[in-house]
Amino acid sequence: MKKKNIRKIDEILELPKEVCSNVPKIIITGFDEMIIENFKGILEYEEFFVKINTYIGVINVNGYGLRLENMTDDDIKVKGKIESLEIERMLDED
Amino acid sequence: MFIKIILSYLLGYLRLSIEGYYIERFINICKNNKIIIWNLKRDKDIHLYLNVRISEFKEICDIAKKTRCKIKIKNKKGIPFLLHKYKKRKIFAVFLILVVCSIGLSSNFVWNVDIREENNQKIENIIQDLESAGLKIGMLKSNINTKEIINKIRFQRNDIAWIGIELKGTNAIVKLVKSDKKPDIIDENEYCSIISDKAGVVTKINAQTGTANVKVGDTIKEGDVLINGWMEGKFTGIRYVHAKGEIEAKVWYTKHKKISYHTTQAKETGNKENKYGIKINNFEINFYKKLSKFKIYDTIETENKFKLFSDFYLPISFIKKMNKELEEVQEDYTLEEAKTIGIEELQEELEKEIENKNNIVNKNINTYEQEDGIDVYVTYEVLENIGTNEKIVF
Repeated sequence: MKKKNIRKIDEILELPKEVCSNVPKIIITGFDEMIIENFKGILEYEEFFVKINTYIGVINVNGYGLRLENMTDDDIKVKGKIESLEIERMLDED
Repeated sequence: MFIKIILSYLLGYLRLSIEGYYIERFINICKNNKIIIWNLKRDKDIHLYLNVRISEFKEICDIAKKTRCKIKIKNKKGIPFLLHKYKKRKIFAVFLILVVCSIGLSSNFVWNVDIREENNQKIENIIQDLESAGLKIGMLKSNINTKEIINKIRFQRNDIAWIGIELKGTNAIVKLVKSDKKPDIIDENEYCSIISDKAGVVTKINAQTGTANVKVGDTIKEGDVLINGWMEGKFTGIRYVHAKGEIEAKVWYTKHKKISYHTTQAKETGNKENKYGIKINNFEINFYKKLSKFKIYDTIETENKFKLFSDFYLPISFIKKMNKELEEVQEDYTLEEAKTIGIEELQEELEKEIENKNNIVNKNINTYEQEDGIDVYVTYEVLENIGTNEKIVF
């Protein structure tokens, strides 16, 4: 109930979703750079594969030469040749 | 991003290599403890390279212990490490501080006084006056009270219409405007008569108030009274007035020059010689030892002041002396040539003096031959308004 109410208020006020909830925001600039805001943690990290945990699911990034540049408290920048992006939804969301 | 790089360089950072099997856990713990790490790179399964600030290195060590990872420092970057490296070089540091201090200190002094006169009119002795008023080279800038100096100089001198002093860097710019000499203005109410300021022959006299003292055709000298500042009536007696009127007179301008038939003139041969030196305040150091190899020569001295940036003058100047070789050439004139040269030179000089060339009535040229030269006299007759007011003193 409470979550739905907050979501409604957000929609009325037109606030950006990533600011007031834990919904991640993924920005991809070109094919070599990706910024993910509101992430929870890193599940796996290899040179060719990054698995990033967020509050509503998991993001898998495939590529090669991946580097985690600039990791701060709530955003992460992935650099390297990105080839594909997969999203695993968490089942209890709906 | 750029600011972040500079900041991290200022604070200093480490490039670490971490070896272990729980690298993801390590990263997550770092994130949860709010440790900023950047430029993570995975290499060959078990290696991870990352950058971290110096202040957070201890925490990282603790985390590594927890996750059973090995830590190796690969690189140290940043100013704290640089300073540490230079700690042993004490003399270097001392001199660096000395140089910075001396530059800072010397910027508090005036090292150059730049005098700029408007329209390039030369005002004599202004440098001495400025020095006595308190603007000297080598003075502390804070000791210079520009308002006081301006007041002093304006009080001392009458020929300055405006003066401004601007302290710019180590440069004091003095701007001057020369005032024209004004005749003493005599009040309308005061009694005065008109006297002549030039010698000549009166051609026209028109006294508006006052009585004329001279007639047309009279020759006058300098200082003669032209219009008297009183009026005489039959019944009123003598009444003093402020004399007014116009007097036109023929004035003669004469110039004389002797042109000799044989003259020696110095001519440049085109040979040049440069000599250099350095001047510190008033102490000169010359880089040359020999005297000039020329017999007769002209020296042109140019002085360049050293300056840092655009207006930070130092009390050191660079002197360049250029010696130009001269040659004495004897020139012979014939009688006619000497005459024309003399007349032309004199005419030029006279025409500079006379303001209104339309009023020239007559030109008179006389030449007298002599043994070794020729005397040339040129006289111009000019119609001019003459007369200045002079107060009547009882």
